Amino acid sequence: MLSTTSYQPNYFSIDDILATQERTPCKFLQNAPRMGKLNPSTDEKDLKAGTELELPLWLVLDASAGRQMIVAPELPKIYREAYREILKADATAVDLHKFNLYFYELGSYVKYFDRREDVHNILLHTFITRFRFIMDLANNADSDPTVQNRLDMLERRLFKSGHIARTKLNTWLLDSGAPLKAANMVTNHRKRKRVDDDLFA
Amino acid sequence: MDPDEVEFLGEKSLVEIVPTFNSAPIYFIGGDVGPFRASIPIRVPLWVAVNLKKQQQCKIIPPDWMDLEKLEFLKEEEKSNKSFVKMPSDHYMIEAKLILGCAADDIPKTDEIRTIIKDIWDIRMSKLRSSMDDMIKKSAMYAAVDNLTLMEINSIRPLLPHALDQIYRIKTNKKALSNRSQGTTSTLSESRTSFSSKT
Repeated sequence: MLSTTSYQPNYFSIDDILATQERTPCKFLQNAPRMGKLNPSTDEKDLKAGTELELPLWLVLDASAGRQMIVAPELPKIYREAYREILKADATAVDLHKFNLYFYELGSYVKYFDRREDVHNILLHTFITRFRFIMDLANNADSDPTVQNRLDMLERRLFKSGHIARTKLNTWLLDSGAPLKAANMVTNHRKRKRVDDDLFA
Repeated sequence: MDPDEVEFLGEKSLVEIVPTFNSAPIYFIGGDVGPFRASIPIRVPLWVAVNLKKQQQCKIIPPDWMDLEKLEFLKEEEKSNKSFVKMPSDHYMIEAKLILGCAADDIPKTDEIRTIIKDIWDIRMSKLRSSMDDMIKKSAMYAAVDNLTLMEINSIRPLLPHALDQIYRIKTNKKALSNRSQGTTSTLSESRTSFSSKT
């Protein structure tokens, strides 16, 4: 059951392909003959060592692997210090969708570019702090459908599965000749969310 | 699981009814029911009781716990307790819903009972939510789910297991780091195999 809905990248995973499309800044350590066309700013045939370019992540990953690195990868800007500080301050207030569609997927690739594990920690921290937010959203999505636009794709997947389950449960609770109701006093209480009102009225 | 499937499981629990007809035992795959003697109480599975009630062929005797005083006490206990209180029935929500739904005339004070069961459910659900949040925040290794009923456990699926899956993924990715530094294979293939082993 889990394997179909839970995310597992495989070779043909569309999400994985899209995530590894991301432009990643990197610096060439060696001359790359006949690769000049990768650099649109010059007409030279060869790429010289020291050139700084933005290449797709899938290329950078393979070019930077092995003993003889062709390029030295750098962190995309959303994982750098400044952005990490924003996430540390309050991860729930952030529009992750704007950061990157595949914040966590991309993050788990690029975190190896950072030897101090700061990126790893911030990924974990972000997910954990935002979990409550996703859970509440899944339980009360009717209140404001636009909020889910602030989730990255992985969170959105979680949200969807949670929301479907919650809707089913609510239908079940209501689905009988005489649904179980909360007391009027409770429903009218100011602190109670309006959503509950609608559900149990 | 669908709530309907959970309901199906819960419908196996026994309730007492007073039939208004005579009948020889009925043989089902899941077991025999009956024989029925008019006005002699008998214990039958919930789904049989609901069916007979709908045909006006029995009276359902509410379970012991479906009593305003007992429920009131339970609710207070649930409120004052930090962990979950043991419910009188493993499928209290299903029993309440089905019995109150079809046999409201057999149970005294239906409305009050309905309300109080819903209150208990709401208290437990909010407790469940906050303990889920707590568990994720503290990255706890395990959580005790004592005294939770199947319907309640089912209500946090699939969100919680999937979230834990993702945390696990983020964490296990870290281990690939030490492999990579040996520089034998590319990260790309490595990070992929580390997940496929989970299937």
